[in-house]
Amino acid sequence: MIRVLFFGPVAERVGARELQLEFKPGMSLQDVVTHIQARHAQAFGLVSFIAVNNAQTKDMQMPLNDRDEIAFMSKFSGG
Amino acid sequence: MLERVRIQLGDFSVDQELAALRASSRRMGGIATFIGCARDFSEGREVSEISFDAYGSMALAEMHILRNHAIEQFGLLDARIVHRIGVIGAGEQIVFIAAGAEHRAPALQACQWLIDELKQRVPIWKKELTPQGDAWVTPHP
Repeated sequence: MIRVLFFGPVAERVGARELQLEFKPGMSLQDVVTHIQARHAQAFGLVSFIAVNNAQTKDMQMPLNDRDEIAFMSKFSGG
Repeated sequence: MLERVRIQLGDFSVDQELAALRASSRRMGGIATFIGCARDFSEGREVSEISFDAYGSMALAEMHILRNHAIEQFGLLDARIVHRIGVIGAGEQIVFIAAGAEHRAPALQACQWLIDELKQRVPIWKKELTPQGDAWVTPHP
């Protein structure tokens, strides 16, 4: 399974903090992005950063592994 | 002993943090601190509380990276970063940063750099709770 995480305003628009997606061999980050974009378009509009296993990435072709954790995040506002 | 980099629900003691920083080296000639507090107003509205959400594991990892980077870049002897999450009342403390160096200039520069970078790189979000409703804060420089 792929664990998809949402925080702050993105979580509020999705209506959940976490989703599980079935892992399929050959899956890339783009597959997950496409899935989330299609089902949560409003929330996706807030997304500025994507992290895979705690590290920000812009590489949409990144291959995923089973049990990877992907976070969709809006701009940060801590401090 | 309290960790040098933390995310926590409860308040922190500035005295305790400074004592821990000073205890780390007797070569320390300058300590610069930043304490971020919850304002009771924002853009003309009354703010009663601020609610913080965080991607905890990534936020903590980024804070460690920032501390290590600051120590190397500014030649610090030690640095501490503490950020609270959860609901924080107006007037309460949110974030604590302290940078200790042999001289004041690198301590001051590092402290400024740390809070500026934290705001841009650490995945934490705040929502202002007001009598007129709640609103996520849009980041600004």
